Amino acid sequence: MTFLARRLLLAIPTLAGVLVAVFLLLYVAPGDPVQQMVGERADSVTIARLRAELKLDEPLPVQFASYAGGVLTGDLGRSYITGRPIMQDIRERFPKTAQLALAAMTIAILLGIGIGVLAALKPAGAFDKLLMGATYLGISFPVFWVGLLLILLFALTLKWLPPSGYGGGLVLILPALTLGSRSIAYLARVTRSSMLDAMSSDHVRTARAKGVSNASVVLRHGLRTALIPVVTVLGLDVGSYLTGSILTETVFGWPGLGRYVVNAIARRDLPAIQGTVLFLSVVFVLVNLLTDIAYKRSDPRVG
Amino acid sequence: MLRFRTTPAAAIAFALLTACGGSDKTPKRSAIVDSRDTYDPRSFDPALSTDVPTGRAVGYVFEGLTRFSPDAQVEPALASSWTVSDDGRIWRFTLRQNVKFHDGSAFTANHVVASFTRVLDPKTRGGRGWPLFPIQGATDFAAGKSNAISGLKIENDSTVVVTLTEPFAIFPKLLAMPVASIVPATVAPDFGEKPVGTGPWKLAEWKHDDFVRFVRNDAYWGTKPLQDTLIARIIPEPSTAVAEFESGNVDILYIPEAETRQWEQTDEKKVLLQAAPVLRLWYVAMNTTRGPLKDVRVRRAINHAIDTRAILTQLLGGRGRLAAGIIPPALDGSDTTRVPYAHDVAKAKQLLTDAGFPNGISVRLWCSQDATQSRVAQAIQGYLKEAGITAELVQRESASMREAARKGDADLVLKDWYADYPDAENFLYPLLHSANAGVGGNVSFFRDASFDSVVTASRRETDITKRTAMYVRADSIAFAQAPMVFLLFYNELYAVQPWLKNWSAPTIFNGQRMIGARIDHGTP
Repeated sequence: MTFLARRLLLAIPTLAGVLVAVFLLLYVAPGDPVQQMVGERADSVTIARLRAELKLDEPLPVQFASYAGGVLTGDLGRSYITGRPIMQDIRERFPKTAQLALAAMTIAILLGIGIGVLAALKPAGAFDKLLMGATYLGISFPVFWVGLLLILLFALTLKWLPPSGYGGGLVLILPALTLGSRSIAYLARVTRSSMLDAMSSDHVRTARAKGVSNASVVLRHGLRTALIPVVTVLGLDVGSYLTGSILTETVFGWPGLGRYVVNAIARRDLPAIQGTVLFLSVVFVLVNLLTDIAYKRSDPRVG
Repeated sequence: MLRFRTTPAAAIAFALLTACGGSDKTPKRSAIVDSRDTYDPRSFDPALSTDVPTGRAVGYVFEGLTRFSPDAQVEPALASSWTVSDDGRIWRFTLRQNVKFHDGSAFTANHVVASFTRVLDPKTRGGRGWPLFPIQGATDFAAGKSNAISGLKIENDSTVVVTLTEPFAIFPKLLAMPVASIVPATVAPDFGEKPVGTGPWKLAEWKHDDFVRFVRNDAYWGTKPLQDTLIARIIPEPSTAVAEFESGNVDILYIPEAETRQWEQTDEKKVLLQAAPVLRLWYVAMNTTRGPLKDVRVRRAINHAIDTRAILTQLLGGRGRLAAGIIPPALDGSDTTRVPYAHDVAKAKQLLTDAGFPNGISVRLWCSQDATQSRVAQAIQGYLKEAGITAELVQRESASMREAARKGDADLVLKDWYADYPDAENFLYPLLHSANAGVGGNVSFFRDASFDSVVTASRRETDITKRTAMYVRADSIAFAQAPMVFLLFYNELYAVQPWLKNWSAPTIFNGQRMIGARIDHGTP
């Protein structure tokens, strides 16, 4: 069996596990979904009728079978609250979360690696100390707080960028910077230490001895070697872009999947929660698979 | 009502840092931009409307037979007039002529019957039909026990006769609720996304969790909106909404509680403020069936133990008025001469001793995770402690809290109640009548025969003077029996851009339909 086929087969029990776990978790959690549907004022007859219609009083295995059956045929059901198909909601929102995550990642890669390289040029110099101090702040500040500070500086004080909303241009910059802030700091630190290692290695010394220009030594001989651990860190970080988007989307009013699932949880919208978690699990599995394939390509020992 | 809130620390820091006032440059746009919605409307289907953003949106696109003015008076809408029989049961509505739906079809009496039937139909899965339950045969139809609603009759194209099970004088107020909106005779499956109503605005574009854009209905039968576009932005984070307001991008802003002082104390911001005494009660429901809380002396002791004035001024920025009863001062039946329970620790202790608890009692106080509510709950816990009452805080998100309260599993529950329609009945009946114990809204599980009989009689009373007197009496019984801690009646506070003219904050959530509001671009 090929590597890819084996990994794909392994994904099936993982996703089945997610399906069961999310289902059980939601039924153990307090908070009746029907009470959220009917609002503040209701009557017990209506509540009983809605519970029956939604099959919430059936035995748990029956409910699970009917839900799992739907999932297998690609039907994630309809939202209890809005009546819209869950699949349609996810299709509308996931691209926006992905767009934000990609923008944040791009910013994180450019700024993070850039800062790391600059700091490694003169280790323990004033510039290095300043940048590394800044990365401490970047790692320790909560995303929420960073977002509000960025709005304050770039939208209210400087008036360069819009405070919130959705779009592809200027309005994307602040949320992407916020979502990427932690990664920028983290990548900068990893790049710096990895660069320091690389710059003191034999092949860099050889390159210098051969009289290669300084820029070429740093970029071609140093950075290339230093990037290997950076790529690893980046791969591990993909998940944090998806989870971190919940707070970022809330601060900036970004209409993505993070806010959608938080709203669904607060309203006990079971099909919406289950569908989103399942969908995100598939995304995670695929991303992991891609990472593994990339590893296998770069290192034949993995397999 | 679901609301995301910033952490208090972030809100305060943000408030301190944003010292500048509203933007003074009038924008070029012709759209009114509202920022009050913190989450997406559920749907434009009136049958699914239970919350404020949804009800507000439905109110722009649809109309009922009646509607509310911004100051919460009931007015004719699709019914131009109505009469009621002497026994108060038979209501004859004369319908407005020459009204067209957004798709061009004409509005007739059929639509009234079809709309009400649709809301009550079990197949609609709305579950929100209670405002129409007073109609004869409505509950049986909603329960699937009959095929038609006997109380609905079409007399001719422009007259509908509604027969109620029993007299209910304030019925026209219930007809102004979003759920009683008039919809076309047949609706498509995606009606919630593509609504067709008769209202002053048409839905033009809905980007979920981002914004809803409405355009003026140029064929509207009544006074048409002055602006051609209305945008409701969905901004979950209050501090972000403040930033949008200060950038001049939105015209109407809800002021977060934590920022009240800062707005009121800055001159250039203060002039933008508009307060509305909304019909909203903050209270602590006391489950009158649990342990020591069965004793009225204990419930009074708890009322005396809490310094409501300090909570109002310190934690809610003074936005409200102390409650001495449950009827808001803006409504008939409120007795503004009644004096609230005084903060008196000695008296509280004495009452506890009289009730046989000289060493105090222990209770569990439930509250939601809303930042303001949890601060109020902590303050209450502190005050109770001074009087010898140990209150354990149980903080849950609102779904779990509501379920526990409705099941009767909670001793004390910190809550607020936002009126669906402007009448004292909307407070007395759901919150404290025994018919509504549990899921109906009476989570105090208050059962008082004299209260019940006065409230039941008031619902049937057609004479407004007599009815008001009954409301006063019922409210005073509730006040004396203390099935809740009477905290305060809340005031909402908005900032309105100087260029937005003729907009007033509504007393009831769907009372402001943005008809006369306009953006003043000034003279060039």
